[in-house]
Amino acid sequence: MINLSTGAFFERATRQIGTLRERANRLQDQIGSGERLSRSSDDPVAAARLRTLARRERLAEVDQRNADRAMGDLQLTDKALESLAEITIRARELAMQAANETLGVEQRQMLRAEIDGLRESVLLVANSRNGAGQALFGGQAAGLAYEDTGAGITYVGTDTAESVGIGDGQSVTRSLTGPEVLTFDFEGTPTDVFAVLATLSAALQDPLADAASAGRLAMAQLDSGLDQVTTAQTIVGARMGWIEIIDERRLASGELVAEERSEIGGADLATTMTRLQEILTVLEASQASFVRLANLSLFNSLR
Amino acid sequence: MASDLLSIAASGARAARGALDVTAQNIANAASDGYVRRSARMEEVSASGGLGRIGDISLSGVRIDGISRNADMFRQAEVRRTNSDATRAATELAGLQNIESAVEQAGIFSAIVEFEGALRQLESDPVDLSLRAAVVASAETMAGKFNIAAESLSSAVAGAQFQAGAAVDEANVIAAELARINVRLARAGAGSSDRASLLDQRDLMLERLSGITDTQTTFSADGAVTVRVGGSTGPLLVSGGTPAALSMTLAADGTPSFAVGGTAVSPGGGALAGHALALGQAVEIGAALDELAADIAALVNGSQAGGAALDGSAGQPLFTGSTAATLQTAFRDGRLLATAPAGSPAESRDASQLIGLRSALETGGLAERMNGIMFGISSRVAGHEITAEALDAIAASARISLEQQAGVDLDTEAANLIRYQQAFQASGRAMQVASDIFDTLIGIG
Repeated sequence: MINLSTGAFFERATRQIGTLRERANRLQDQIGSGERLSRSSDDPVAAARLRTLARRERLAEVDQRNADRAMGDLQLTDKALESLAEITIRARELAMQAANETLGVEQRQMLRAEIDGLRESVLLVANSRNGAGQALFGGQAAGLAYEDTGAGITYVGTDTAESVGIGDGQSVTRSLTGPEVLTFDFEGTPTDVFAVLATLSAALQDPLADAASAGRLAMAQLDSGLDQVTTAQTIVGARMGWIEIIDERRLASGELVAEERSEIGGADLATTMTRLQEILTVLEASQASFVRLANLSLFNSLR
Repeated sequence: MASDLLSIAASGARAARGALDVTAQNIANAASDGYVRRSARMEEVSASGGLGRIGDISLSGVRIDGISRNADMFRQAEVRRTNSDATRAATELAGLQNIESAVEQAGIFSAIVEFEGALRQLESDPVDLSLRAAVVASAETMAGKFNIAAESLSSAVAGAQFQAGAAVDEANVIAAELARINVRLARAGAGSSDRASLLDQRDLMLERLSGITDTQTTFSADGAVTVRVGGSTGPLLVSGGTPAALSMTLAADGTPSFAVGGTAVSPGGGALAGHALALGQAVEIGAALDELAADIAALVNGSQAGGAALDGSAGQPLFTGSTAATLQTAFRDGRLLATAPAGSPAESRDASQLIGLRSALETGGLAERMNGIMFGISSRVAGHEITAEALDAIAASARISLEQQAGVDLDTEAANLIRYQQAFQASGRAMQVASDIFDTLIGIG
């Protein structure tokens, strides 16, 4: 004979209802938080993957910030190069005027003054700084890129420009050094814009000098100088394009990461709700049947 | 010897009263722990006729022969065995969950990632003081998180040790109690209700003991129990009226070992085994965290030593301490971070040392190692959850099957109430009949 003892009946009912309640509670947690996992041990593999994805997301944020910064620097460089190109073009115009042999002393002085001014402007632009206060064209130098020593303007920056990592193992050089922009070869010998302008200015100041031939030489030299500046502009544009490509890739992979995250760790609302409803129905039914069975006592019939 | 209707009826009424008492006792104890349903065993009282009175009716009614306990030894042994296993698994799982939350809530992984992120951010401008400060701050946070993890881990260890110690004390109390019960069982009369309640106590104690350690029990004819710990050849914990002392000693690394009366035992079940296993795991995890902390410190300090600080001086170690509990940052001044290679001038923007450190952290896979440690714990917890659930279900079904057999069913008791009440009334009726017969006999005269 199976003797269903009262204690066993209550114990079994408690266990069943308790288990159902616990499951309903867990589903409720998932709906509330939107996360399928509340502890790593709920699904160790998914939790480990989620941590890796979170790390990728976090580092991608930093990469994005670094890329934005490099982009900002390159945009500033681009602006500076535009100014340099304008100045060089104006200097070439002045050199062309100087090449005119019918200049009076006064006109030569005026040309000289403007050329000196342009030389100052080139120095100013060449020493312009980025957002962090660093010389744009100074490479890794802490101070100025060019200094006027009295004997001429010389480059005091370092030979290489800084490069910065922008993620996925890629890095980009965020600026150009001064010589990359302003120094060029003319007929086999290296010279720079400062020297060209200084020579022209000196020729215009000296009444005995042949200003016309100096002007013609300067014109030819400034043509090469302008080429150098526009080449630099192209390089900067290409680098900005590179950063944009990497940005797009980062965005795309960020979307994939977010998608994977929600796939692995997110609780699907529809499924979770349905399962919760299912468990609640079972729970209600077992509660109701428990109450009815518990009321079935022989003592109720004893009068 | 002739029969006496009145005394037969009286004995019947007495027996029915006794049976009603037993039934009422059953109903009253329907929810008592360890109570095994009693039933009154009735026996006819009669005598064979003596010499020359072979044909006589010689009846003397009924008496209660004894109170029997409806306990099934096999099911009780099953309950003890499965309870041992289930408690071991549940204790170990609880310990592992403590370890898991100690390590997980400390958030070491995200702190390492933040440190990596801060280093990478500093690459964008190695002389920026705020970015340098951010690196030092994230290093400090990371060290703090290691400290927190080590601290919570050691408090989880201390908690488990305390619980194991408390379980050992309880086992000693139970062993002493069992020894006392053994002595009293030897004196109790067979079939007495006293003996039944002593046996109830004995079984309750054995069940509680099975939650602490696995036991091997043998019973003598009078119900006295002999308990061995740690298998059938283990030392005796209770033998007759003498209990042996169970003791625990903690090794230097925090793992416990147990002995009964001086003989070393390794419990295979119950809370003691669970605590021992969980403590073993905690030691393992603690060692892994220590190793990771030491590696991070060595890597960063090595890079510092090979580089130059912002003022051009040689780099100083960033971390002191080589365990998770003692990891500390040595300075708070971001200028002391050696981002440039050794020999660089002050304010150097050369970040090659920094880049080297960052890529060493990445190729060394330190964040991944932390991820691996956490994966190790959580997968163990997940595995043990399944085991514990299964063992718990087995233990529950063993208990329910024992309760079904040994527990009180109120419906049966209600039926018994009616049955014995009717028996009592019928005996009363028999007395009435005896009285009527007597009256009739008197009336004749």
